[in-house]
Amino acid sequence: MKDRKPLYLMTPALAWLTAFMVIPCLLILALAFFRRGLYGGIEYTFTLENLALVFDPLYAGIFLKSAAIAGLSALIAVIIGYAAAFAIAAAPSRRQPILLFFAVLPFWSNYLVRTYAWIVLLNREGLITGLARWLGYDAEMPRLLYTEGAVVVGLVYNYLPFVILACYAPLSRLNPEIAEASRDLGASSWTTFRRVVLPMTVPGIATGFVFVFVLSIGNFVTPALLGGGQFQMIGNLIYAQFLTANDWPFGAALSMVLIAIMMGLLTLQTFATERASGAKREES
Amino acid sequence: MASLANPRLMLAILAAVFAFLYVPISVLVALSFNDGGLPTAWTGFSTRWYGELLHNRDIMSAAFNTLVVAVVSTVLATILGSLLAIGVEIRRRKGRFLETIIFAPMIIPDIVLAIALLSFFSLLNVTMGLHTVILSHVVFNLAFVCSVVRARLKTFDWSIVEASTDLGASTPVTLVRIVLPVMLPAVIAGALLAFTLSVDEFIIAFFTAGAGRDSITLPMQIFAMIRFGVTPEINALATIVMAVSVIALTLSQRLNRGGLPGQ
Amino acid sequence: MTQPLLSLRNVQKHFGTVRAVDGLNLDIQENEFFALLGASGSGKTTLLRMLAGFEVPTGGEILLDGKDVSNVPPNRRPVNLMFQSYALFPHMTIAQNVAYGLEMEKCPKAEIKTRVGEMLEIIQLSHLAGRKPDQLSGGQRQRVALGRALIKRPRLLLLDEPLGALDKKLRGDMQLELKRLQHEFGITFIIVTHDQEEALVMADRVAILKDGTLLQCASPHDIYERPNSRYAADFIGVMNFMPAKVSNGRLLGAHGKPVTAQIPEGLHEGADVVVAIRPERLKVSAPQGDAAGSLPRGRVLATAYHGLDLQLHLETELCADPITVRLTAQEADQIALSQGDQLELGWDAKDTRVFAA
Repeated sequence: MKDRKPLYLMTPALAWLTAFMVIPCLLILALAFFRRGLYGGIEYTFTLENLALVFDPLYAGIFLKSAAIAGLSALIAVIIGYAAAFAIAAAPSRRQPILLFFAVLPFWSNYLVRTYAWIVLLNREGLITGLARWLGYDAEMPRLLYTEGAVVVGLVYNYLPFVILACYAPLSRLNPEIAEASRDLGASSWTTFRRVVLPMTVPGIATGFVFVFVLSIGNFVTPALLGGGQFQMIGNLIYAQFLTANDWPFGAALSMVLIAIMMGLLTLQTFATERASGAKREES
Repeated sequence: MASLANPRLMLAILAAVFAFLYVPISVLVALSFNDGGLPTAWTGFSTRWYGELLHNRDIMSAAFNTLVVAVVSTVLATILGSLLAIGVEIRRRKGRFLETIIFAPMIIPDIVLAIALLSFFSLLNVTMGLHTVILSHVVFNLAFVCSVVRARLKTFDWSIVEASTDLGASTPVTLVRIVLPVMLPAVIAGALLAFTLSVDEFIIAFFTAGAGRDSITLPMQIFAMIRFGVTPEINALATIVMAVSVIALTLSQRLNRGGLPGQ
Repeated sequence: MTQPLLSLRNVQKHFGTVRAVDGLNLDIQENEFFALLGASGSGKTTLLRMLAGFEVPTGGEILLDGKDVSNVPPNRRPVNLMFQSYALFPHMTIAQNVAYGLEMEKCPKAEIKTRVGEMLEIIQLSHLAGRKPDQLSGGQRQRVALGRALIKRPRLLLLDEPLGALDKKLRGDMQLELKRLQHEFGITFIIVTHDQEEALVMADRVAILKDGTLLQCASPHDIYERPNSRYAADFIGVMNFMPAKVSNGRLLGAHGKPVTAQIPEGLHEGADVVVAIRPERLKVSAPQGDAAGSLPRGRVLATAYHGLDLQLHLETELCADPITVRLTAQEADQIALSQGDQLELGWDAKDTRVFAA
């Protein structure tokens, strides 16, 4: 096959991506450097004000808060997800595909619906309160819904299947004889896990963490539904700039910072994967 | 891993994780059949909420819009994405830039793509509606189709393409008689995945559908219903939407034994 | 001499700075069973792909029936390739696989049907015509691949490591089968292999390739008995090499005594050479008299029993590596052997080859 042939196969799709992804994203990048017009329009003069505004304590605080919530969600999701992936990888090999399938299945049902399910559980008149009453807990229930905790639970719940998948991949590829060799050389189960298995599966952990963090920090549905507008995350802030505050340049600047954070993390993840690739070579 | 694992602990972990994953959605499904519709009191089995859905004009029109968007964007994305996948895989040199462009729609935060497209369409003075939602959905759908088809192509024995040429076939004949039939299961799996994603997609649709009531999609309708007063109908609607995704994904999985979508 | 079916004239193929094929000249006659033998990286696969049309030569000419086909695409050449992986179409039945090539020629439907039927008969797979390739065994798949290529009645059939994927026993059967089919169809076969035994058993002529150049091209007998280089001698079969030096028209071995050998002309005084001899050409006998006898001696290091024959490994003064001797079962029975025994080694000068060191 000559190198010319693939070009005409790729052209339609690449043209589409250029028109409806690359150009719009470049547009946003440009927009971030324009001034906001008096009545919400865009004034085409160059300014760095929008980017500066991102670092204004008010908005920087929202960034930090979003990062804290995203980081906490990612951490919890990785701990639960890794444990689940390990348990699946330890199951008899003929059962693993079906376990994995059911672990991932919820991921492919509607995101809004999954989030809504937690409203039903956490609501003041919801199932958890009902259950507590039924068990004889009569005191005032703490508020469950519309809290940061609810947002974290929602994010963990929504992205857990992906973390399981990401952690399972390196665990399942691990040659069991490597763990046995470590045991044979005198290491305990725990030491073997800590010194051998864990380092070799870092890429999966990194992928899972970065994925949950990136999707959480820019999330707008979960804070809106489970946070109940009690506090803002970056996603909500961007949303507001475009649909209510009508400050597109500032919204664009926020998006750019979001993208920058995401790219930085993806680079770190690639780095983590490459560092562990020495371990990978041993696998094969 | 079995040699390191305590079987009881592993079982406990699996039980806890699966309970965490499935209890919330199971509650939803159960409530959709609760006659009274309230989460705290079971008043008897009934399918009345499903019946109510059929009479809700807003929901029916949103469902129809979603179907239009999903079908059209899936067809477009399947054609574009499959060709792209074949093109990328037969290319010998792998360009990092090319890989980034193809990978980007899957990882770019929805909200960013949504506002980018909103700005793009409004600056061009394009009237927004279902057509702009379709144009936008094709962006990420084609990337997912491409990744599913590429995964299959990785295990594809390219020597059958050469064998076909060697036996006298021209390139178009080889594409139609050899490459396409062998790739068909993966292409259909990719299409089903795209369909599911499109049916479920909310944020991009929300930003690119414009203001008109007649371009509301089902996820937009669900969002509005959750936000402005929960009615019991939503449990039934949620159950149906989940069932559609799960069925499409299970089919996709069966066809594409190469791996889980998104892997 | 008639016009050769295939002529290679200074054929070259460069990939960047790598010279995969570097100036090959070769004539192959109609009806020949020809083997291209070489280690991996010798350029044999690149050459095959140029003959099939999947690579365009960087230089030189490939003449088929006297016409240069270097730039003719693979689908327009009367040349077919049997792929190493067999490359059967997984979504088609056996019959559809075999018919494919004829359909490409726009053969009439009725003719395709007859010819496919005949071909399935020949490759003995008529009863499996409706199966898919993944329902066949390795040997059956190989026959489908062969039938699919043969049905087009090409001028030249190329076979890329055709037996590589089969187990040893099946390989023996298929070697005979391939020879039979080649004879029956009267089509020229070019087989590429790294397995010297396969090449020697099947081919009328064998070409040894090394680093993209032709080292030797001869009949299997001549390749084995009269290798023209140390590499060829080492590559084919087992060979003992003994270092020696030219001195007064004789060869002196490492032990300082004369070595029996056929001395080629043109060796100057003091030149370093190696004397090569096949294990089956060596004779051993129990030592006669004292150690100062004229024949070199060796001590048995190990014996290896192979059923048909017995291999001895002897430590000698002739070279650093042990000398391998092959005895027939009968010969072995006549001498009682055990590890550490001293033996006298002898051979005829005509059985040796001498190469520059």
